[in-house]
Amino acid sequence: MTLEQPLATAAPRTLAEAAELHLDDVFGYLLYLTRDRETAEDLAGSTFEKALRLWGRFDPRRGTARTWLLGIARTTALDWFRAESRRRRREESVAPPERVEEAFVEGLSPELEAALATLSAAEREVLVLRVVLELDGDATARVLGISPTAVSTRLSRALKRLEEKVTAP
Amino acid sequence: MTVSEIVDELRATRPRAGEALRLQVLTLASQPVPTAPPARDRLRGRLRLGLLVPVAAGLAVATAVAIGVTRPQETAREAGPSSATAERAADAATSAGTPPGTANAPSAAFAQKAPPGTTPGRAQRYVASLTLSVEDADALSEATQRALAIARDLGGFVASVRYATGDEGTASMTLRVPSARATDAVTRLSALGTIVAQNVQIDDLQESLDATGRRIEQLRARIAVLTERLGTDLDAATRARLQEERSRAQAELQQLRASRAATTAEARLATIQLDLRTEERGAAVPGSRIDRALDRALEVLAWEAVGALAVAVALAPLALVAAAVWAGRRAHRRRDESRLLGAS
Repeated sequence: MTLEQPLATAAPRTLAEAAELHLDDVFGYLLYLTRDRETAEDLAGSTFEKALRLWGRFDPRRGTARTWLLGIARTTALDWFRAESRRRRREESVAPPERVEEAFVEGLSPELEAALATLSAAEREVLVLRVVLELDGDATARVLGISPTAVSTRLSRALKRLEEKVTAP
Repeated sequence: MTVSEIVDELRATRPRAGEALRLQVLTLASQPVPTAPPARDRLRGRLRLGLLVPVAAGLAVATAVAIGVTRPQETAREAGPSSATAERAADAATSAGTPPGTANAPSAAFAQKAPPGTTPGRAQRYVASLTLSVEDADALSEATQRALAIARDLGGFVASVRYATGDEGTASMTLRVPSARATDAVTRLSALGTIVAQNVQIDDLQESLDATGRRIEQLRARIAVLTERLGTDLDAATRARLQEERSRAQAELQQLRASRAATTAEARLATIQLDLRTEERGAAVPGSRIDRALDRALEVLAWEAVGALAVAVALAPLALVAAAVWAGRRAHRRRDESRLLGAS
Protein backbone atom coordinates (compact mmCIF):
# COMPACT_ATOMS: atom_id res chain seq x y z
CA MET A 1 0.00 0.00 0.00
CA THR A 2 1.26 3.47 -0.73
CA LEU A 3 -0.31 6.81 0.19
CA GLU A 4 2.25 9.04 -1.49
CA GLN A 5 1.56 8.45 -5.16
CA PRO A 6 -0.71 11.11 -6.69
CA LEU A 7 -2.63 10.31 -9.80
CA ALA A 8 -0.74 11.39 -12.87
CA THR A 9 -3.05 13.66 -14.79
CA ALA A 10 -2.39 16.16 -17.55
CA ALA A 11 -3.46 19.75 -16.91
CA PRO A 12 -6.89 20.22 -18.53
CA ARG A 13 -7.31 23.13 -20.88
CA THR A 14 -11.04 23.56 -20.40
CA LEU A 15 -13.47 23.09 -17.55
CA ALA A 16 -15.18 20.36 -19.56
CA GLU A 17 -11.92 18.43 -19.62
CA ALA A 18 -11.42 19.05 -15.90
CA ALA A 19 -14.96 17.89 -15.18
CA GLU A 20 -14.48 14.72 -17.18
CA LEU A 21 -11.23 13.95 -15.35
CA HIS A 22 -12.23 14.91 -11.82
CA LEU A 23 -16.00 14.64 -11.44
CA ASP A 24 -15.70 11.29 -9.64
CA ASP A 25 -13.13 12.75 -7.24
CA VAL A 26 -15.32 15.73 -6.44
CA PHE A 27 -18.39 13.55 -6.02
CA GLY A 28 -16.52 10.98 -3.88
CA TYR A 29 -15.14 13.68 -1.61
CA LEU A 30 -18.57 15.24 -1.14
CA LEU A 31 -20.16 11.83 -0.58
CA TYR A 32 -17.73 10.96 2.23
CA LEU A 33 -18.16 14.41 3.71
CA THR A 34 -21.97 14.49 3.73
CA ARG A 35 -22.72 10.72 3.87
CA ASP A 36 -25.70 11.37 1.62
CA ARG A 37 -25.70 10.54 -2.07
CA GLU A 38 -28.37 13.06 -3.12
CA THR A 39 -26.73 15.86 -1.17
CA ALA A 40 -23.34 14.96 -2.66
CA GLU A 41 -24.83 15.12 -6.16
CA ASP A 42 -26.42 18.51 -5.47
CA LEU A 43 -23.21 19.87 -4.03
CA ALA A 44 -21.19 18.48 -6.95
CA GLY A 45 -23.47 20.35 -9.35
CA SER A 46 -23.06 23.54 -7.31
CA THR A 47 -19.31 23.01 -7.23
CA PHE A 48 -19.07 22.94 -11.02
CA GLU A 49 -21.38 25.93 -11.34
CA LYS A 50 -18.97 27.90 -9.18
CA ALA A 51 -16.03 26.46 -11.07
CA LEU A 52 -17.52 27.68 -14.35
CA ARG A 53 -17.73 31.22 -12.96
CA LEU A 54 -14.21 31.06 -11.54
CA TRP A 55 -12.46 29.17 -14.36
CA GLY A 56 -10.85 32.39 -15.62
CA ARG A 57 -8.94 32.65 -12.35
CA PHE A 58 -7.64 29.08 -12.37
CA ASP A 59 -3.84 29.14 -12.56
CA PRO A 60 -2.24 25.72 -13.26
CA ARG A 61 1.07 27.01 -11.87
CA ARG A 62 -0.46 27.35 -8.40
CA GLY A 63 -1.96 23.86 -8.22
CA THR A 64 -3.66 21.11 -10.16
CA ALA A 65 -7.21 21.38 -11.44
CA ARG A 66 -8.17 18.53 -9.13
CA THR A 67 -6.92 20.38 -6.02
CA TRP A 68 -8.63 23.54 -7.22
CA LEU A 69 -11.96 21.76 -7.78
CA LEU A 70 -11.75 19.96 -4.44
CA GLY A 71 -11.13 23.31 -2.74
CA ILE A 72 -14.28 24.72 -4.32
CA ALA A 73 -16.16 21.56 -3.34
CA ARG A 74 -15.04 21.97 0.26
CA THR A 75 -16.21 25.59 0.40
CA THR A 76 -19.54 24.56 -1.11
CA ALA A 77 -19.89 21.75 1.42
CA LEU A 78 -19.04 24.04 4.34
CA ASP A 79 -21.77 26.44 3.22
CA TRP A 80 -24.16 23.51 3.12
CA PHE A 81 -23.09 22.36 6.59
CA ARG A 82 -23.73 25.86 7.95
CA ALA A 83 -27.17 25.96 6.39
CA GLU A 84 -27.89 22.46 7.68
CA SER A 85 -26.74 23.41 11.16
CA ARG A 86 -29.11 26.38 11.22
CA ARG A 87 -31.95 24.28 9.82
CA ARG A 88 -31.40 21.55 12.43
CA ARG A 89 -31.36 24.05 15.27
CA ARG A 90 -34.67 25.44 14.06
CA GLU A 91 -36.33 22.06 13.52
CA GLU A 92 -35.02 20.18 16.56
CA SER A 93 -37.33 22.21 18.74
CA VAL A 94 -40.43 20.90 16.94
CA ALA A 95 -39.31 17.53 15.49
CA PRO A 96 -36.77 14.77 16.26
CA PRO A 97 -33.55 14.74 14.17
CA GLU A 98 -33.53 12.78 10.92
CA ARG A 99 -31.95 9.37 10.84
CA VAL A 100 -28.70 9.38 8.96
CA GLU A 101 -28.32 6.89 6.12
CA GLU A 102 -25.46 4.58 7.05
CA ALA A 103 -24.90 2.89 3.64
CA PHE A 104 -23.63 5.81 1.58
CA VAL A 105 -20.84 4.09 -0.39
CA GLU A 106 -21.76 1.22 -2.66
CA GLY A 107 -19.81 -1.99 -2.17
CA LEU A 108 -18.42 -1.29 1.27
CA SER A 109 -18.74 -4.01 3.91
CA PRO A 110 -21.40 -3.22 6.51
CA GLU A 111 -18.72 -3.18 9.24
CA LEU A 112 -16.61 -0.59 7.49
CA GLU A 113 -19.69 1.40 6.51
CA ALA A 114 -20.79 1.48 10.15
CA ALA A 115 -17.31 2.39 11.32
CA LEU A 116 -17.12 5.25 8.81
CA ALA A 117 -20.40 6.58 10.16
CA THR A 118 -18.82 7.00 13.58
CA LEU A 119 -16.06 9.28 12.26
CA SER A 120 -16.49 13.02 12.17
CA ALA A 121 -16.71 14.86 8.86
CA ALA A 122 -13.21 16.24 9.48
CA GLU A 123 -11.84 12.71 9.80
CA ARG A 124 -13.79 11.41 6.83
CA GLU A 125 -12.58 14.20 4.56
CA VAL A 126 -8.92 13.56 5.29
CA LEU A 127 -9.56 9.84 4.78
CA VAL A 128 -11.22 10.30 1.42
CA LEU A 129 -8.61 12.75 0.16
CA ARG A 130 -5.54 10.81 1.26
CA VAL A 131 -6.77 7.21 0.97
CA VAL A 132 -9.61 7.06 -1.52
CA LEU A 133 -8.57 9.83 -3.91
CA GLU A 134 -4.86 9.30 -3.17
CA LEU A 135 -3.86 12.96 -2.96
CA ASP A 136 -0.40 13.54 -1.58
CA GLY A 137 0.10 15.24 1.78
CA ASP A 138 0.81 18.71 0.37
CA ALA A 139 -2.21 18.73 -1.94
CA THR A 140 -4.45 17.53 0.88
CA ALA A 141 -3.09 20.20 3.17
CA ARG A 142 -3.81 22.81 0.51
CA VAL A 143 -7.41 21.65 0.09
CA LEU A 144 -8.05 21.54 3.84
CA GLY A 145 -6.14 24.73 4.67
CA ILE A 146 -4.01 23.00 7.33
CA SER A 147 -0.38 21.91 7.53
CA PRO A 148 0.85 18.60 6.04
CA THR A 149 1.77 17.50 9.58
CA ALA A 150 -1.77 18.11 10.73
CA VAL A 151 -2.98 16.08 7.74
CA SER A 152 -0.78 13.13 8.79
CA THR A 153 -1.93 13.34 12.38
CA ARG A 154 -5.59 13.54 11.44
CA LEU A 155 -5.23 10.64 8.97
CA SER A 156 -3.50 8.41 11.53
CA ARG A 157 -6.18 9.13 14.08
CA ALA A 158 -8.96 8.43 11.58
CA LEU A 159 -7.44 5.12 10.44
CA LYS A 160 -6.84 4.05 14.03
CA ARG A 161 -10.40 4.79 15.02
CA LEU A 162 -11.65 3.03 11.93
CA GLU A 163 -9.56 -0.03 12.75
CA GLU A 164 -10.80 -0.05 16.32
CA LYS A 165 -14.41 0.18 15.26
CA VAL A 166 -14.11 -2.49 12.59
CA THR A 167 -12.30 -4.97 14.83
CA ALA A 168 -14.47 -4.28 17.86
CA PRO A 169 -16.78 -7.20 18.73
CA MET B 1 -9.49 -6.11 9.69
CA THR B 2 -6.13 -4.34 9.46
CA VAL B 3 -5.49 -0.77 8.33
CA SER B 4 -4.07 -2.12 5.09
CA GLU B 5 -7.23 -4.08 4.41
CA ILE B 6 -9.34 -1.04 5.24
CA VAL B 7 -7.38 1.08 2.80
CA ASP B 8 -7.65 -1.56 0.09
CA GLU B 9 -11.40 -1.80 0.57
CA LEU B 10 -11.88 1.95 0.58
CA ARG B 11 -9.92 2.27 -2.66
CA ALA B 12 -11.69 -0.66 -4.25
CA THR B 13 -15.05 0.95 -3.59
CA ARG B 14 -14.09 4.38 -4.80
CA PRO B 15 -17.37 6.23 -5.45
CA ARG B 16 -18.35 7.10 -8.97
CA ALA B 17 -20.78 9.79 -10.02
CA GLY B 18 -24.05 8.61 -11.51
CA GLU B 19 -24.77 9.08 -15.18
CA ALA B 20 -27.38 11.74 -14.54
CA LEU B 21 -24.91 13.83 -12.52
CA ARG B 22 -22.18 13.24 -15.10
CA LEU B 23 -24.44 14.43 -17.90
CA GLN B 24 -25.56 17.44 -15.90
CA VAL B 25 -22.02 18.48 -14.95
CA LEU B 26 -20.52 17.89 -18.38
CA THR B 27 -23.32 19.88 -19.99
CA LEU B 28 -22.71 22.67 -17.51
CA ALA B 29 -18.94 22.58 -17.93
CA SER B 30 -19.25 22.71 -21.71
CA GLN B 31 -20.92 26.10 -21.57
CA PRO B 32 -18.83 29.06 -22.54
CA VAL B 33 -16.87 30.43 -19.63
CA PRO B 34 -18.29 33.80 -18.55
CA THR B 35 -16.33 36.81 -19.72
CA ALA B 36 -13.30 37.40 -17.57
CA PRO B 37 -13.77 40.19 -15.07
CA PRO B 38 -12.01 43.47 -15.75
CA ALA B 39 -8.30 43.53 -15.18
CA ARG B 40 -8.82 45.70 -12.09
CA ASP B 41 -10.91 42.97 -10.44
CA ARG B 42 -8.45 40.28 -11.34
CA LEU B 43 -5.60 42.14 -9.69
CA ARG B 44 -6.56 41.11 -6.23
CA GLY B 45 -5.01 41.03 -2.82
CA ARG B 46 -1.28 40.88 -2.62
CA LEU B 47 -0.85 41.12 -6.37
CA ARG B 48 -2.69 44.45 -6.45
CA LEU B 49 -0.71 45.70 -3.46
CA GLY B 50 2.48 44.42 -5.04
CA LEU B 51 1.76 46.50 -8.14
CA LEU B 52 0.58 49.51 -6.19
CA VAL B 53 3.86 49.98 -4.32
CA PRO B 54 6.18 50.15 -7.38
CA VAL B 55 3.63 52.25 -9.28
CA ALA B 56 3.44 54.74 -6.40
CA ALA B 57 7.22 54.78 -6.09
CA GLY B 58 7.56 55.33 -9.83
CA LEU B 59 5.07 58.18 -9.74
CA ALA B 60 6.91 59.78 -6.82
CA VAL B 61 10.25 59.60 -8.62
CA ALA B 62 8.74 60.83 -11.90
CA THR B 63 7.13 63.77 -10.11
CA ALA B 64 10.39 64.65 -8.37
CA VAL B 65 12.35 64.47 -11.63
CA ALA B 66 9.72 66.51 -13.48
CA ILE B 67 9.74 69.23 -10.81
CA GLY B 68 13.52 69.14 -10.65
CA VAL B 69 13.87 69.56 -14.40
CA THR B 70 11.16 72.15 -14.89
CA ARG B 71 11.74 74.23 -11.73
CA PRO B 72 15.37 73.79 -10.67
CA GLN B 73 15.62 77.39 -9.55
CA GLU B 74 13.39 76.69 -6.55
CA THR B 75 16.31 75.06 -4.75
CA ALA B 76 18.54 78.03 -5.38
CA ARG B 77 15.90 80.43 -4.12
CA GLU B 78 15.35 78.47 -0.96
CA ALA B 79 19.09 78.09 -0.38
CA GLY B 80 19.43 81.80 0.22
CA PRO B 81 19.20 85.15 -1.47
CA SER B 82 22.81 85.11 -2.55
CA SER B 83 22.46 81.99 -4.67
CA ALA B 84 19.24 83.15 -6.23
CA THR B 85 20.42 86.58 -7.14
CA ALA B 86 23.73 85.28 -8.34
CA GLU B 87 22.03 82.83 -10.64
CA ARG B 88 19.85 85.47 -12.26
CA ALA B 89 22.71 87.92 -12.29
CA ALA B 90 24.92 85.57 -14.24
CA ASP B 91 22.94 86.01 -17.42
CA ALA B 92 22.57 89.74 -16.95
CA ALA B 93 26.24 90.18 -16.17
CA THR B 94 27.18 88.28 -19.26
CA SER B 95 24.91 90.34 -21.44
CA ALA B 96 26.07 93.60 -19.85
CA GLY B 97 29.72 92.73 -20.37
CA THR B 98 30.60 92.69 -16.70
CA PRO B 99 34.30 91.97 -16.28
CA PRO B 100 35.60 88.58 -15.14
CA GLY B 101 35.50 87.97 -11.41
CA THR B 102 32.16 89.68 -11.14
CA ALA B 103 30.34 87.45 -13.53
CA ASN B 104 28.05 86.20 -10.80
CA ALA B 105 26.98 89.69 -9.89
CA PRO B 106 23.28 90.03 -9.23
CA SER B 107 22.67 93.19 -11.16
CA ALA B 108 19.68 91.83 -13.03
CA ALA B 109 18.13 90.50 -9.88
CA PHE B 110 18.61 93.80 -8.17
CA ALA B 111 17.15 95.62 -11.11
CA GLN B 112 14.03 93.47 -10.75
CA LYS B 113 13.82 94.20 -7.04
CA ALA B 114 15.30 97.71 -6.94
CA PRO B 115 15.99 99.13 -3.50
CA PRO B 116 13.76 101.98 -2.35
CA GLY B 117 14.89 105.49 -3.32
CA THR B 118 14.42 108.97 -1.96
CA THR B 119 11.32 111.00 -2.78
CA PRO B 120 12.10 113.83 -5.21
CA GLY B 121 11.54 117.29 -3.68
CA ARG B 122 11.87 116.10 -0.09
CA ALA B 123 14.94 116.17 2.11
CA GLN B 124 15.67 112.63 3.22
CA ARG B 125 18.54 110.86 4.89
CA TYR B 126 19.56 107.80 2.87
CA VAL B 127 21.78 105.19 4.55
CA ALA B 128 22.48 101.85 2.93
CA SER B 129 24.75 98.98 3.84
CA LEU B 130 25.68 96.26 1.41
CA THR B 131 27.69 93.10 1.98
CA LEU B 132 28.90 91.26 -1.10
CA SER B 133 31.04 88.21 -1.63
CA VAL B 134 33.44 87.86 -4.55
CA GLU B 135 35.30 84.85 -5.85
CA ASP B 136 38.87 85.52 -4.79
CA ALA B 137 41.47 88.14 -3.96
CA ASP B 138 41.77 89.31 -7.59
CA ALA B 139 38.05 89.78 -7.82
CA LEU B 140 38.11 91.61 -4.46
CA SER B 141 40.69 94.08 -5.73
CA GLU B 142 38.84 94.65 -8.95
CA ALA B 143 35.49 95.06 -7.20
CA THR B 144 36.99 97.57 -4.80
CA GLN B 145 38.38 99.63 -7.65
CA ARG B 146 35.10 99.53 -9.46
CA ALA B 147 33.17 100.57 -6.33
CA LEU B 148 35.35 103.64 -5.98
CA ALA B 149 34.87 104.40 -9.66
CA ILE B 150 31.13 104.09 -9.37
CA ALA B 151 31.03 106.54 -6.46
CA ARG B 152 33.04 109.09 -8.45
CA ASP B 153 31.07 108.43 -11.59
CA LEU B 154 27.84 109.27 -9.78
CA GLY B 155 29.22 112.56 -8.49
CA GLY B 156 30.08 111.25 -5.05
CA PHE B 157 33.25 110.48 -3.18
CA VAL B 158 34.85 107.89 -0.95
CA ALA B 159 34.63 108.79 2.71
CA SER B 160 36.77 105.88 3.89
CA VAL B 161 38.32 102.66 2.59
CA ARG B 162 39.83 99.69 4.39
CA TYR B 163 41.27 96.88 2.27
CA ALA B 164 42.87 93.67 3.58
CA THR B 165 43.93 90.43 1.95
CA GLY B 166 45.00 87.11 3.46
CA ASP B 167 43.23 83.79 3.89
CA GLU B 168 40.03 85.74 3.61
CA GLY B 169 40.19 89.08 1.79
CA THR B 170 37.95 91.92 2.93
CA ALA B 171 37.36 95.48 1.81
CA SER B 172 35.19 97.94 3.65
CA MET B 173 34.37 101.40 2.36
CA THR B 174 32.01 104.26 3.06
CA LEU B 175 30.79 106.02 -0.05
CA ARG B 176 28.88 109.29 -0.29
CA VAL B 177 26.87 109.86 -3.42
CA PRO B 178 24.11 112.34 -4.24
CA SER B 179 20.87 111.13 -2.70
CA ALA B 180 19.10 111.44 -6.01
CA ARG B 181 21.43 108.79 -7.40
CA ALA B 182 21.57 106.54 -4.34
CA THR B 183 19.34 103.88 -5.83
CA ASP B 184 21.42 103.81 -8.96
CA ALA B 185 24.55 103.49 -6.84
CA VAL B 186 23.21 100.58 -4.79
CA THR B 187 22.08 98.81 -7.94
CA ARG B 188 25.46 99.21 -9.61
CA LEU B 189 27.38 98.26 -6.48
CA SER B 190 25.25 95.14 -6.05
CA ALA B 191 26.50 93.96 -9.40
CA LEU B 192 30.06 93.73 -8.09
CA GLY B 193 29.51 90.42 -6.29
CA THR B 194 27.02 88.06 -4.73
CA ILE B 195 24.76 89.77 -2.26
CA VAL B 196 25.16 88.39 1.23
CA ALA B 197 23.23 91.08 3.07
CA GLN B 198 21.82 94.49 2.37
CA ASN B 199 20.02 97.14 4.33
CA VAL B 200 18.54 100.46 3.22
CA GLN B 201 17.22 103.03 5.65
CA ILE B 202 15.52 106.28 4.63
CA ASP B 203 14.58 108.95 7.19
CA ASP B 204 12.48 111.95 6.21
CA LEU B 205 14.11 115.28 7.23
CA GLN B 206 11.76 117.63 5.40
CA GLU B 207 9.46 118.23 8.35
CA SER B 208 12.35 119.16 10.57
CA LEU B 209 13.74 121.47 7.86
CA ASP B 210 10.39 123.17 7.43
CA ALA B 211 10.10 123.78 11.19
CA THR B 212 13.60 125.19 11.27
CA GLY B 213 12.77 127.48 8.34
CA ARG B 214 9.67 128.80 10.08
CA ARG B 215 11.61 129.47 13.26
CA ILE B 216 14.29 131.31 11.29
CA GLU B 217 11.67 133.56 9.71
CA GLN B 218 10.16 134.32 13.13
CA LEU B 219 13.59 135.19 14.51
CA ARG B 220 14.38 137.43 11.54
CA ALA B 221 11.12 139.30 12.00
CA ARG B 222 11.70 139.65 15.74
CA ILE B 223 15.26 140.90 15.21
CA ALA B 224 13.94 143.47 12.71
CA VAL B 225 11.35 144.69 15.20
CA LEU B 226 13.92 144.89 17.99
CA THR B 227 16.39 146.75 15.77
CA GLU B 228 13.70 149.24 14.82
CA ARG B 229 12.75 149.86 18.44
CA LEU B 230 16.35 150.27 19.45
CA GLY B 231 16.58 153.14 16.93
CA THR B 232 14.08 155.19 18.95
CA ASP B 233 14.48 157.12 22.22
CA LEU B 234 14.50 154.62 25.04
CA ASP B 235 15.44 154.74 28.65
CA ALA B 236 18.63 152.96 29.57
CA ALA B 237 16.99 149.96 31.20
CA THR B 238 14.65 149.27 28.28
CA ARG B 239 17.46 149.66 25.75
CA ALA B 240 19.62 147.22 27.65
CA ARG B 241 16.78 144.60 27.85
CA LEU B 242 15.98 144.90 24.11
CA GLN B 243 19.63 144.67 23.16
CA GLU B 244 20.03 141.52 25.20
CA GLU B 245 16.91 140.01 23.62
CA ARG B 246 18.18 140.82 20.11
CA SER B 247 21.54 139.25 20.90
CA ARG B 248 19.84 136.02 22.01
CA ALA B 249 17.69 135.98 18.87
CA GLN B 250 20.69 136.58 16.64
CA ALA B 251 22.59 133.74 18.34
CA GLU B 252 19.67 131.38 17.94
CA LEU B 253 19.26 132.41 14.33
CA GLN B 254 22.87 131.65 13.63
CA GLN B 255 22.57 128.25 15.29
CA LEU B 256 19.43 127.41 13.33
CA ARG B 257 21.02 128.42 10.06
CA ALA B 258 23.97 126.15 10.77
CA SER B 259 21.65 123.31 11.68
CA ARG B 260 19.63 123.79 8.52
CA ALA B 261 22.75 123.80 6.43
CA ALA B 262 23.93 120.57 8.07
CA THR B 263 20.58 118.88 7.57
CA THR B 264 20.45 119.96 3.96
CA ALA B 265 23.94 118.63 3.41
CA GLU B 266 23.00 115.35 5.08
CA ALA B 267 19.98 115.02 2.80
CA ARG B 268 21.96 115.92 -0.27
CA LEU B 269 24.40 113.03 0.06
CA ALA B 270 23.54 109.40 0.72
CA THR B 271 25.84 107.21 2.79
CA ILE B 272 26.54 103.75 1.47
CA GLN B 273 28.56 101.32 3.53
CA LEU B 274 29.96 98.64 1.25
CA ASP B 275 31.65 95.50 2.58
CA LEU B 276 33.31 93.09 0.18
CA ARG B 277 34.74 89.69 1.10
CA THR B 278 36.05 86.66 -0.66
CA GLU B 279 33.82 83.59 -0.68
CA GLU B 280 34.31 81.14 2.17
CA ARG B 281 35.63 77.71 1.27
CA GLY B 282 32.75 75.34 0.75
CA ALA B 283 30.24 78.12 0.47
CA ALA B 284 27.30 77.34 -1.73
CA VAL B 285 28.09 78.18 -5.31
CA PRO B 286 25.32 77.87 -7.80
CA GLY B 287 25.88 74.63 -9.70
CA SER B 288 25.02 73.72 -13.21
CA ARG B 289 21.43 73.31 -14.31
CA ILE B 290 21.74 69.54 -14.04
CA ASP B 291 23.08 69.82 -10.48
CA ARG B 292 20.25 72.12 -9.53
CA ALA B 293 17.71 69.82 -11.16
CA LEU B 294 19.12 66.86 -9.24
CA ASP B 295 19.12 68.81 -5.99
CA ARG B 296 15.54 69.84 -6.56
CA ALA B 297 14.49 66.30 -7.45
CA LEU B 298 16.15 64.93 -4.31
CA GLU B 299 14.52 67.61 -2.25
CA VAL B 300 11.08 66.76 -3.65
CA LEU B 301 11.78 63.07 -3.06
CA ALA B 302 12.69 63.81 0.53
CA TRP B 303 9.44 65.70 1.03
CA GLU B 304 7.52 62.87 -0.60
CA ALA B 305 9.20 60.41 1.75
CA VAL B 306 8.28 62.59 4.72
CA GLY B 307 4.69 62.72 3.45
CA ALA B 308 4.57 58.96 2.94
CA LEU B 309 5.97 58.42 6.42
CA ALA B 310 3.38 60.76 7.90
CA VAL B 311 0.59 58.90 6.10
CA ALA B 312 2.02 55.56 7.26
CA VAL B 313 2.17 56.79 10.86
CA ALA B 314 -1.39 58.08 10.61
CA LEU B 315 -2.69 54.85 9.08
CA ALA B 316 -0.69 52.46 11.28
CA PRO B 317 -3.38 52.21 13.99
CA LEU B 318 -6.03 51.54 11.36
CA ALA B 319 -3.81 48.91 9.74
CA LEU B 320 -3.31 47.24 13.11
CA VAL B 321 -7.05 47.19 13.74
CA ALA B 322 -7.66 45.81 10.25
CA ALA B 323 -5.03 43.11 10.80
CA ALA B 324 -6.58 42.20 14.14
CA VAL B 325 -10.04 42.01 12.56
CA TRP B 326 -8.70 39.89 9.71
CA ALA B 327 -6.93 37.52 12.13
CA GLY B 328 -10.02 37.33 14.30
CA ARG B 329 -12.28 36.51 11.37
CA ARG B 330 -9.82 33.88 10.16
CA ALA B 331 -9.66 32.24 13.59
CA HIS B 332 -13.44 32.37 13.87
CA ARG B 333 -13.81 30.76 10.45
CA ARG B 334 -11.38 27.99 11.44
CA ARG B 335 -13.27 27.34 14.66
CA ASP B 336 -16.55 27.39 12.75
CA GLU B 337 -15.24 24.85 10.24
CA SER B 338 -13.88 22.61 13.00
CA ARG B 339 -17.20 22.76 14.81
CA LEU B 340 -19.19 22.01 11.65
CA LEU B 341 -17.00 19.14 10.49
CA GLY B 342 -16.42 17.74 13.96
CA ALA B 343 -20.11 17.50 14.69
CA SER B 344 -21.16 15.96 11.36
